[in-house]
Amino acid sequence: MSTWEKAVTLVDNPLIVKDAVSRMRSWRAPVVLTLYLSLLAAFGYSVFLIEAISAGSHTGAAQIGGTVFSWLTFFQLTLVCLFAPAMAAGAVSGERERQTFDVLMVSRVTPLGIIWGKLVASVAFMLLLILGALPLFAAVFLFGGIDFEQFVVTQLVTVSTAITIGAVSVFLSSAFRRTLPSTVAAYGCAFAGLVGTLLVGSMLSILIAERQVSADVHPLEFTNPLYALWVILDSPNGAGMHLGRLLQLLVLAPGGPNSAGPSLEPWQGTLLAQLAIIALSVYGAVRLVGGHRAPQPRPRTGDETEGVVPEEEQA
Amino acid sequence: MIAVEGLHKSYGGRVALKEVDFSVPEGEIFGFVGPNGAGKTTTIRILATLATADAGTASIGGIPVSEDPYGVRQLIGYMPDFFGVYDRLTAEEYLEFYAACHGVARRRRRKVATELLELVDLADRAGDQVDTLSRGMKQRLCLARALVHDPQVLLLDEPASGLDPRARVEMRELIRELRRMGKTILVSSHILPELEELCTWVGFIDEGRMVAAGPMSEVRNQVISGRRLRIELVDDDSDAWLAAEKVIRSRPGVIGVDFVDSGLQILVEDSFADQDLLSDLVRRGIAVRSFAQVPGDLAEAFLRLTGPEGEA
Repeated sequence: MSTWEKAVTLVDNPLIVKDAVSRMRSWRAPVVLTLYLSLLAAFGYSVFLIEAISAGSHTGAAQIGGTVFSWLTFFQLTLVCLFAPAMAAGAVSGERERQTFDVLMVSRVTPLGIIWGKLVASVAFMLLLILGALPLFAAVFLFGGIDFEQFVVTQLVTVSTAITIGAVSVFLSSAFRRTLPSTVAAYGCAFAGLVGTLLVGSMLSILIAERQVSADVHPLEFTNPLYALWVILDSPNGAGMHLGRLLQLLVLAPGGPNSAGPSLEPWQGTLLAQLAIIALSVYGAVRLVGGHRAPQPRPRTGDETEGVVPEEEQA
Repeated sequence: MIAVEGLHKSYGGRVALKEVDFSVPEGEIFGFVGPNGAGKTTTIRILATLATADAGTASIGGIPVSEDPYGVRQLIGYMPDFFGVYDRLTAEEYLEFYAACHGVARRRRRKVATELLELVDLADRAGDQVDTLSRGMKQRLCLARALVHDPQVLLLDEPASGLDPRARVEMRELIRELRRMGKTILVSSHILPELEELCTWVGFIDEGRMVAAGPMSEVRNQVISGRRLRIELVDDDSDAWLAAEKVIRSRPGVIGVDFVDSGLQILVEDSFADQDLLSDLVRRGIAVRSFAQVPGDLAEAFLRLTGPEGEA
């Protein structure tokens, strides 16, 4: 298959359309969308009420708006972490369980086409959820307190996180034969990536502060989406670090700050790190699917114990 | 069209295929016969580019499956023994999806789906969701799916398994129709009478070893000399039977005559002219109720080849 044909299968990918049609015809799609928006709306309204009631006479609408937006942003990221693994963790393993994987493998769709189609189809629904929630966020603009750049960057980090979790989940789905373990692993990875890296990164940041008498944060914390969102919403500028310094801190190398490379804001560092994770996950998934071989045999029972065959033989 | 030489495959040190050799000429229906676990699916999966052989070569249309799997996939239509379908897709959408997967041009997909649904007699179910179809319908739809890119070769792994008798007949007729369309077909099964009526070539595999392969008559003649005919008479009296036996024994090419289950079973040479015997019986006033070749030669051939004496 030529490079051109491979490129075409990425754009004109039948899996994207098939999965989208199949997903949107399910009763789960409207239920998930409704649940997602209801949770977000209920949470935003609760925060608004609490802020409005507890606000003193000096508290302006802009401050309330900023607070509601911040809470909504963090809550949305949490929802994304909860929903994204469920959307993508059955992408490839589901094909195996449904016994449609072999038939797909003998078609002209390449392993890259399969993974790409599965990833886009899974992420597309997450993007639909995030897009559907935009009016809720836009409503906060009525109060002020948030500028357009903050809005765009927070949405960008949220979307990027959704894609990253989707890519990791698709990789795990390729690695496991069954959807249940791949889903559990995907939730584990999402939790470790979001909360685990923040905790470990914070501890390493304390270590850096003690050893190097520096206020710089460790790259694990720097590239954490929660930290990135917190910085965007709290103080959009001024937390940047040079790439050289980030790499220096990554290995906890001693010495003065390395100012090599461009200066990155935390959200930019987050996007770069997530881009790398996405690329690695897609590469790994393609390798796993491309290396698809006959399943390992299982011991046979009864009179047929002499021969050894894959499980398909054991009709 | 299909050539397999010295195919060897092991799983975890246990041998699944041992030096498997066979070939299938263009336009033939090759019955791949063997008990469960004999290595049929493993061989078919290697031919379908889904598994790799440890040793040996397999090629389809002259293209080695291990060297150019994408080239081979253009030539083959594969129907696995177990397969699933996608929920919430109609039969037409299902075929259009696979047509897209096989690179069929967008403008042709609907037409291809419609034509194939007509071929497998599912045109009236085009708008039904696939998961609501019966097992037999799904099998036929799966066969249609294997044809979306008009392949020259069909690899059908137990296509009639789990079907009721009516659906089996429909599937058999469908496969015959595909042969008339010029397809080369490899069909595996462990139900021998089914294959006996369908196939022109046959290959026996047992415990990963190919015990015989070639044209149906050639393979059968390796172990069974002659054919069996069964004759039943209208008059069930001993005079009629004796007269018939006398006529039969007088014909050249008759090897033996037995009285089995209220009928005469005769063993004749392959070149024996059945019609001459029938007309001779009728001419001599013997009323014949039925005159037919006895099926089951393939089963007997298989048992002889794979039995203790076959292995000796």
